[in-house]
Formats: sequence, C-alpha cells, structure tokens
Amino acid sequence: MSLIDAKTAPRAIAPMKNRRTRVIAIIMGLIGVFTIFAFGLGSESRAHSSLTFNPINLVNAPWRVGSLTVVTRWTDVVLGVVMVAIAAETYLRHPRRGVMARFGSVAVLFLFALLFWAARTPGPSPTSSVNITAILVGSSAAAMVLIFGSLSGVMCERSGVVNIAIEGQFIGGAFLGSMIASTTHDFFFAAIAGMVAGGVIGLVLAFLSLRYRSDQIIVGVVLVTMLSSLSSYLNLQVFTPFPNFNTGILAPNLPIPLLSKIPVLGPVFFNQSGFFYVMIILVAVVSFALFKTRYGLHVRAVGEHPRAAATVGINVIRVRYINVVLGGAIAGLGGVAFMATQGQFQVGYTSGYGYIALAALIFGRWRPSGAVVASIIFGLSVYLSYNLVTYNVPISLYILQMFPYLITIAVVAGLIGRVRAPAADGQPYLRD
Amino acid sequence: MSETSSARASLWVRYTSSSPLVVTFFALVLGLLFGAFVIITTTPSVLDAWRAIFHGWNGIPHALNLTFDNVGAAYRSMFTGSIVDPQGLWHSISTGKGWTNTLTPISETLTYATPLVIASIGVGIAFQTGLFNIGANGQAVIGGIAGAVVGSMLHMPEILHLPVTLLAGIAGGMICGAVPGVLKAYTGAHEVIVTLMFNYVTYAFLLFMVLSTPFQQPGQQNDIGRTMDHSAQLAPLFGTRSGLRVSYGVFVAVAVVIFASWLLNRSSLGFDFRVTGANPSAARASGINARTVIVVVFLISGGLAGLAGVVQVASTTHYVDGGFLIGSAGIGFTAITVALLGRNRPIGIVWAALLFAALGVGGRNMQATTGIPLDLATVIQSAIVLFVATPVLVKEIFRLRAAKTTTVQLATTGWGS
Amino acid sequence: MQLELRGITKRFGSFTANDQISLKVEPGQIHSLLGENGAGKSTLMNVLFGLLRPDEGEILIDDVATPITDSGEAVRRGIGMVHQHFMLVPVFSVTENVVLGFEPTKSLNRVDYKRATEDIRRLSHQFNLDVDPDAIVENLPVGLQQRVEILKALSHDAELLILDEPTAVLTPQEIDSLMEIMRSLAAAGKSILFITHKLKEVKAVADVITVIRQGRVVGTAEPSASESELASMMVGREVKLTVEKTPYDPGNEVLEVRDLVVLDDRGLVAVNGVTLDVRAGEVLALAGVQGNGQTEFVEALVGMRPVESGSITLKGRDITNLTPREALDAGLGHIPEDRQRDGLVLSMSVADNLVLNTPRRAPFARHGTRNLTAVNENAERLVREFDIRTTSIREPASSLSGGNQQKVIVARELSRSIEFLVASQPTRGLDVGSIEYVHRQIIEHRNRGNGALIVSSELDEVVALGDRIAVMYEGRISGVVDPSASRESIGLLMAGHTTEASSV
Repeated sequence: MSLIDAKTAPRAIAPMKNRRTRVIAIIMGLIGVFTIFAFGLGSESRAHSSLTFNPINLVNAPWRVGSLTVVTRWTDVVLGVVMVAIAAETYLRHPRRGVMARFGSVAVLFLFALLFWAARTPGPSPTSSVNITAILVGSSAAAMVLIFGSLSGVMCERSGVVNIAIEGQFIGGAFLGSMIASTTHDFFFAAIAGMVAGGVIGLVLAFLSLRYRSDQIIVGVVLVTMLSSLSSYLNLQVFTPFPNFNTGILAPNLPIPLLSKIPVLGPVFFNQSGFFYVMIILVAVVSFALFKTRYGLHVRAVGEHPRAAATVGINVIRVRYINVVLGGAIAGLGGVAFMATQGQFQVGYTSGYGYIALAALIFGRWRPSGAVVASIIFGLSVYLSYNLVTYNVPISLYILQMFPYLITIAVVAGLIGRVRAPAADGQPYLRD
Repeated sequence: MSETSSARASLWVRYTSSSPLVVTFFALVLGLLFGAFVIITTTPSVLDAWRAIFHGWNGIPHALNLTFDNVGAAYRSMFTGSIVDPQGLWHSISTGKGWTNTLTPISETLTYATPLVIASIGVGIAFQTGLFNIGANGQAVIGGIAGAVVGSMLHMPEILHLPVTLLAGIAGGMICGAVPGVLKAYTGAHEVIVTLMFNYVTYAFLLFMVLSTPFQQPGQQNDIGRTMDHSAQLAPLFGTRSGLRVSYGVFVAVAVVIFASWLLNRSSLGFDFRVTGANPSAARASGINARTVIVVVFLISGGLAGLAGVVQVASTTHYVDGGFLIGSAGIGFTAITVALLGRNRPIGIVWAALLFAALGVGGRNMQATTGIPLDLATVIQSAIVLFVATPVLVKEIFRLRAAKTTTVQLATTGWGS
Repeated sequence: MQLELRGITKRFGSFTANDQISLKVEPGQIHSLLGENGAGKSTLMNVLFGLLRPDEGEILIDDVATPITDSGEAVRRGIGMVHQHFMLVPVFSVTENVVLGFEPTKSLNRVDYKRATEDIRRLSHQFNLDVDPDAIVENLPVGLQQRVEILKALSHDAELLILDEPTAVLTPQEIDSLMEIMRSLAAAGKSILFITHKLKEVKAVADVITVIRQGRVVGTAEPSASESELASMMVGREVKLTVEKTPYDPGNEVLEVRDLVVLDDRGLVAVNGVTLDVRAGEVLALAGVQGNGQTEFVEALVGMRPVESGSITLKGRDITNLTPREALDAGLGHIPEDRQRDGLVLSMSVADNLVLNTPRRAPFARHGTRNLTAVNENAERLVREFDIRTTSIREPASSLSGGNQQKVIVARELSRSIEFLVASQPTRGLDVGSIEYVHRQIIEHRNRGNGALIVSSELDEVVALGDRIAVMYEGRISGVVDPSASRESIGLLMAGHTTEASSV
C-alpha cells in the first residue's frame, strides 16, 4: 500500500479548544451585561452624551463636523446588546478563527460605552462633551510607543529570544534621546542615539543569552533593573547639574498636505510627528520582511526549529544576534518617540509600557498586524486611565490607573492558551 | 567520561574553578569595577582631568590621582556607611564613647537586610520551583499596607497586636501572590507578565490608600498613611534609647530562614517544589499536582514578600507613604537579585542580602558625603547579578579553569507553559 | 558520488565515540551501517554532515579530501541527510521546508514560492515521491513527513543520502515502500548510507554492510550473512533474542479497559474506543507504529491525561480519571516512554530519583518531613539489587548511562508493591545488555503472577515479551494475536487492516 493512505482517516474535532472559546464568550457576555446595567440603565434616564469631532488645536480647520448628542442610557444599552450579541455568536458558533478579533472589538465597544457614560450630563441640554478626535489623537501617542515595543518583541521572539528588556530599551532610548535632542535640537540625531542605546542593550541581552546561554528572562529583568537605576543615577549626576542636557523638546507635527484635512482620520493619522510615520513604515517593513522575504523565512525557521535551520546551513546564532540587536534598536527608537511626546526625561515615566508591549505582542499572535491592533486597544485604555477623571466619573484617579494593567493581565490570562508562541521562543540553542 | 575527569580533579582545582563562591567573588569584583567605571565616566572633574592629557603627558598622574580619589572616596564612604568607620571604632574603643555612632552603620545594614532576607527567600523558593515571582515588590507593598492598616486602625493588647499585624502583612502578600499563581495554574498566563503588571497595580493602590480618608494620616494633605500603634511596632533590639534601629525583626528573619531551610531541604512539600522546578514533566508523572504546587508556591512566596513589607514598616518608619518601596531600590526588586546571587538557597540568600543591604545603606552614605547618587548601588547590584548569571563569562575573564559550571538552575519555557 | 571516510576519530572528553572509522560508499550503492544503540553511528553521521568536527581523519569525495565544516557545506558538497528526528519546521508548508536555506528569490529578496512549488512538483514526479507542496507539515502523517525530508535532500542535488534510523516510525508496509524508494534512488545513481540496528532491513536492502561496535569498525558483511551472524558481530557475543519464560498460565483479569476515548494535545481524538483486558501472570504487548494513540492511551491509564469516555478498572476498582498520584497509589507502576523527560529528574541524586513517586510514604517521610536515612538506605539496597552502576547514590541521575538510568526507573517501579506494570518503549535507545536485563525484570514481574502492559514499536520486542499482542492503529485496536502469528499479519494490523477473526 502507499504511504499516502496511512493515517488519513478523519478524526473528530474535540471540544477541548472550544472550552476556552466558550469562556471568552462568557466573559464578553458579562462585559456586555455589565455595560447594559451599569452604564446604560445605571445612568440617569434623561442624561445625554455629546460627542464632538473637531480637533482642539486646529483653529483654522477647513472643516467642522457637527457634534453628535445621544441619549446615554439607550446608546449604552445598544452597545451592551451588541457586545452580548457578539458573545452569543461566539458561544454558539465557536469559530476557529477571529475569536480574538471579536474580543478586541468588544473591548473597543466597552471603552466607548464607558466614555459615553463618563461624559453624560444629567439634563437634556449637554454642557460638556467628549472630543472623539482628541481622544484618538491622545491614544495614538501611547499606541505608537506600544507598537514600537511590540515590533521589537516580534523581531526578537520570532527568532526565538524573549526580550523582557523592552522596558529597559525604552528607558535607554528616552534618556539618550532627550539628551541628544536637547543639545542638537535635531530629532534625527536623537532617533539615531536612541536606536544605538536600544541596540546596545539588545546586544548585551543577545551576548549573554546566546553566547553564554544565560536565562533570557533573568537577563532581561536584571537589565531593566540596571537601566532604571542607571537612568536615575545619571539623571541626578548629569541632568541635575546640567539641565541643558535635558530641556526636552516635543517633536513637531508634520501634517501631510490634503490628507491631514480629512475629518477625524486626518488629525489621527496624517497630522502626527515624524516618529508616527516612521512607525507605520516600520510595521509595513517588518511584516514584509518576516513573511515575504528569504531573510524572514530564515528568522521564522530559527524561531520554530533552530536545529532544522542549522542543518540547511542557516547560522542560527547570527540570525538571533541580528534580530535581537535590530529589535533593541526599534524599542530604543520607541523610547525616543515616547520622549518626543512627553518632553524631558523623567525617572520611571515609561511606567511599564515595555511590559504592556509584550502583552500586546502575545495578544497579536506574534504578528506585526496583530500587535498593532492590540497596541491600539492598550493605548486607548492607557490614555483613558489618565483622562477619564476629567469627566463625570466618581472613581479615584489611582483606581482608574490600575486598569490598563488589569486589562493586560485579563488579556494574557484569557488568551495565552489560545495563541502559539514560536516553538523555540526562550529556548537556548545548543550546537550539540 | 565525567567519572574519570572528576575523579582526577584534585580538590584544589575543584575549589578554585567550579566553586560558586569563587565565581560570586569575582562577579563582585567585576560589579565594583563596573561601578567605578560609571563613576569615572560621569564625574566632570575626572573627565576634565583625562581630557587634559591630550595637551600633555604630564597630566596623567593628576588624572590617575583624581580617578582614585573619586572612586576611593565613593567606595570608602560606602564601607564606612554600612559596616564601620575605623576611626570612629578606634575612638570608641579608646575613649569608650560614641558607640552609638560607631554601631549605627552596621545596625542600619541589618535593619535594611532584615526584610530583604525575608522577601528574597520568598523569591528564591519560587525560583527553585521554576517560577518567576517578579512581583515581590508589589506583594511587599500590599503587605506593608495591610500591616499598617491593622497596626494603626485596630487597637488591641500588646501581646496580640504585633502578631496580628505581621499576619495581616502575610495575608496581604498571599492575596497578591495568589492571583498570578492561580492564573498561571489554571489559564497558563505567564507569571512574569502578571506579576510585573501587578507591581503597577499595587503602586496605584498604595497612592489611593494613602490619599483617601480612613487611612490617610489625619490632618495631612500629603500622601502619607496613619502611624502604627506602639503595640504593633517591632521594637529596637537594644531599646529605644540606644539610638540603633535594628529591631526584633531580625528574629522574624531568622525564623524565616529556618523555616525555608526545612521546607526546601527536608520537607516533602519542598521536595515536590524542587522536582517541579527541575523537571515539570517528571513531577507530573510522579504524581505531583503541578497546579497545587504553583498556587502553594505563590502563596508562600507572596506571603513572605508581604511579611517583608510589614517588617519594613513596623521596624523603620511605622507608616507607609506614597514613596513606600517605590523605584528600582524597592526591596522586592532587590530581592530578585539577592535570590539569584544567593543561588536560591536560604543561607546563600542571607549572605547575599547582607551584601546588598550594605551596598544600599553605604550608597546612602556615599550620596550624603560625596554627592554620588545612591542609585549607583543598584547599578552595581544588577551588574553583579548579570555576572553571576553568566558564570562562564566570569571564568573566561579571570581565566579560571573550566570545570563543572554551576549556573543558576532555571529553565525558561517560553510563554505557553 | 563516491564517498570515503578515512580514520575518523571523535572524542567527547575522555570518551571515544568514533575510533579510526574507515568506510567507502560507491555510486549507486546502498551501504548499510549496522550497529547497536550507542555504538557511535549517529556521531559518525553528524561528523559526515558537518554537525560535529572530527578530531582525526578525513573525508574524501570522489578521491579528493574535503573538509566538511558545517552542514551547509555538506549540502553544497551533495550530501543529504534524512534525520531520525525530522528536521522539518512543523508550522511551515512543505514548500517552505524544502526550499529553506536554498530559496529561489525575486526582487527585494522575496522568496519565489511559485517557482519553488513547481520545482518540488517536478522533483516529486521524477522520483515518484508524491506530496502536496502546500500542505502544512505538522498536518501530514509521519510517513509523508519523511518523504518531505527525502525531497528536501534531493532538491539540494544530493548525490549521497544518509538515512538515519529511518524505519523507526514506519509500519512494515511503509518500510517496504521506503525500501522501494531507496532502490530506485540507487538505480538513479544516488549513493545511500543506511544507518540502522535492524538486521532484517539490512539484509533486505543493503549492497554492502559495515558493522560498528563501541565506536570501531568490527567488520564488513554480505547481505547474505545470517541474522545471528550479524547480531553477534554487532554485539560482540552470542545474543539470545528470546526471553526465558515460565509457561503461560493466565489468572483473572487485572486490568479491564472499556471503550476508552482520549484526546491528544491538539484536542483531536487519539484513542478511539479501546477495549482490552490484561490478566494476572500475563504480559500484553501493545504493538503499533508510533503516534497511533499508544502514548495517549498509556497517559490515560496512569492518570496523566483525562479520559473523555469509557472506563478503566484495576482489580475490580474503577480507576478512570484518577490523578497520577491516585493512580500510583492504586498500584500502577509506570515506566514512561521518555525516561529523561517523565521518568527522572536528571539534576537530582540517584537516591531521590529512587523515591521520586513515593516521597511522602513511610518510611521515607513522616509528618511532612523527609527521612533521609530511610531514603538513602533504600537507595543503597536498590543499587545493589538492580545492579545500577553509579559511583554514589548522591551522584545526579544525569551522570548515569542510558541503561543505568532506565534501571533506576525499573528498580523504583518494581520495588514498590504494584498490582500492574505499564511500560512504554521500555528498551528504546538501550544497548543489548540493558535490553536483556530490562526484559528479564519484566518477565520476572509476570512470573510472580502480576499483569503487565508493554507498549513497543519494535516488533522483535513485542514478539519476545508478549503473551498476547494487541495492535493499535489510528486510536483503535486493530487486532489481538498470538505471538506466534506471522510478522506479515502483525504488519497488516499495524497498517490498519483489521482482521475479522480477532477478538479481545
């Protein structure tokens, strides 16, 4: 008999995978029910939410979009019902693909429901409003940094090295970036300096974990500790006596002609700093390189099955070195981009975004496109956690600030079993 | 093959080449050298002196002098600030006076080391089980808050108040540790991400607590919590009038060391932990319930971190504020490096904690006397641990004989497991 | 291509894995390298394929000395290797795997998948190796994965193919088909170096046989040589391939399995309604090609994998879905398939490994505190009784040889009072001496009137040990036969041809 006939008998698809899908569906349903009752029915029956779309800083805007006023209660009830519907569809059909996309859309709907609720005014005539464009622009800054971080993670982990040190690379990039930007007033040099800083940290991680096979997580965690204490040390030792090194400048926006004038989308996508455009190009380049090119095939092979790659003459260690250093440089650039949105370097102001970027990477299934979507959701939640207090929210700022981290935990806990990391991720490579 | 080679290896070779102590010692040397390098490259006067040598060779002695002066002053102030000032000691011995000043450095080191030992043992137990508890700092923060709440807002007889306060700290840390444990055991969420995120959650919670009414220090607008009752404090070992802060917390730490030694070396539970850490598959096959082990380890690890937090509060400030354990110098973060340096063994951790406590306390003195920021101590600590985690590198640098590499035994398994 | 090895020596520390090995492979020849586990075959192949550097000796290709520095160099020189553990990326397509490292590209460094796919189609047509270029490798059955490996080697213009233990994962029929492929490749002028320890296969296909033992070439033989001749050359002494047993006298049913359904890691049905019985004083051998659900079946028996439906009964007691601890306490002994992964903690001492699954039981522990004296006494006794070669009971298990590691597990399981032994691939990778020892221990266990289930993919072992042989295919029992049944009939069962006559 032929070899092909062997083991082609159909095998039943078991309910194992669906259990997790069901759990996610139930969670989505609970979020929807919560939205209906807490935000919808919980708000005053006559309360209204007003949405505006005109950018604040664009005084001579060529366009004006009228504001949209909705009844808070019923809007949020509808949003909640939509979430429940998505949950029900997921539960009943348990699709094999797109569960995470559904989860992501429920998360975004929830955030908007929360916004409507937060911005409600009790009476029929709205007095305050939610500026959607401003929120999206504000979130895009956080999302951009997370995207840089998760792209760094994609580069490293696709080649099989876990880069916990993204946070440290942010710090290094932001520190050096601020120093160079303050002294040269040129973001190009700042960007180069940040990439060098991140790349060097990546090189140390690669050197210790590839050449000496140290534990990648330990090296990463200790590198972050070292970078945060080193930045604190240098801040006192250098920046305090020489404040000119850390004046901090914000990157100017570079509006793209015509495109930047599109309502809502224009300010969000086409009136950003150079770092934002670089980020978009980088996403495209990394996706292309990983999934279309010869180099990308080698990287993925090294991350999945390094010995198989080695037997066809691919230099596993070299591929990993290149990717970890490049990934470090990307994260370092992310640090500069962060500095360019926040101004002068401050100790500890990256507040764990490097780790959230790691979670975005996992949520995005180790794909650049997925990481972008996840970063947008996390970016939105980071932005809202700082800005919701300006609205009608009876919750302490500090409690709200827990949310991006709690959401990250929830996402990682809910989804990690469903996604598959590169098989050799985190494993040291032993050449016999 | 290894039989003959190890049989031939003389005792001397064994102890100079493969002893973890030797590697640790050289890692310490490298860490201090790295710290010196950082000082030199960031002190303007030293840099200026070196720049001057481009104008003439006769600048070299001056530059060297300045370098040794600066580095020497920094490390001398670290030593005198954390161990003993020889001049003060001589003064005290010869005149019999000033003992408080002479003993203060060592007392401070012990005060700092006490919670550090406790937290590090918690982290070390998790490491031995193959689990990364990077959230010890958050657990210590919660433990500190819980202890401060019980110590300041509940009032009870002296004999009860302190134990209840300590138990509250343990419970707080346990609750905080249970979350990553349960999530890891039942959903597979990687504990590194969960514990890291929890650190940020607990900071926010700390700020919330010290700025809201029931717990905020009455009459204060600042981020400061209530002060613990005297009955809930860990009293100074030599009495309040001695002026030395080292407290009865030392005995708590000793008890934890004894408990951990028994747990890891002699108990059946600890055997399960070690088997799970060394080989999770074999652990499962031999009947160990991995989920239970993960949750129990995180409860113990978190509980010890929480205990460390409450010991820290009860023996030093007696209140928590918005800066409690904040930043890279938080004991929970130092605990990770201490556990690695001590190779996750209780006795090793005691020595490592004393060393890092001395570095930290000495760093404060260094900042006060030479102006070099305290954070240098943390930089040196992390450099030491990077070298300890890479024993082969240390051996290559010092051309130590390559023999058995006793590296920190941990297996990273990626995100899935 | 003509390949010659001259005086290849490879040492690891003080251990010499290859000692002055010389051999010559002619074009169009199937040259078989025969040797038992641990004889140094794999080391030699890794040297030849550039994965290891020889300490002495040289490799000549067409009479020119050619140093092979890495596997890429080996491939460029026309050497292709089909690894025992396939070097395929499971999540990649067949095309991606075949072209990896030698991709045709178009502009911007893009891989030209269209051209690659066409090349593969052409190649598989030329050598009669049918496989879908777009399939994802992990979804292919093992036999097809092996074809992908062969295609991969051929696509690199290999003139010499090294096949490293290629038949371990195949059914007898798949093995026949592989032999056909080998013959046709040889007819097309390719040289083949066929590494194995299986005598029948060597005799069936080889043109020349080189036998190695303990790292040395001990001689060459013609395929016409008898099996016992080859065996004694390979092992260095007379080998008795049969095991002494007391007459088969089964008692009552000890283990009863009914309609068992178990899932694999991916959530697919791996065990699909298995029903079987094992009686006291009986060894039931479970044969079958690896990956037909045996692993999952055993894991379900010992509580390491949940049972979806069906039941397991041990001496009348329902032991379905127990935890591993409960299963061990219920009297199941388990020799796991992967001894280093599931059976031992390599970094811990021999003494600790000998109580690995009874650490809490008296006398090894009391009130949660371990009694190290009892643990050590137990270890000293077992090391003596089971002839475990170790310098000290305090040495880590990693310092033992494979055979002695397996003895630790056997000693641990058989020294407990167990009702039933489950042994999975109990002799995989062991040398002949250790195999004989482990077989003897299992049979003694049976002779004492206990039941045992032995899972093995080695037909010889199944026939030697089993009082009855059950064959597993695609998660089902395709038949139960007597050990005297012909190899062909067992082979057919392994390929899924159920026999109507057989019943459980």
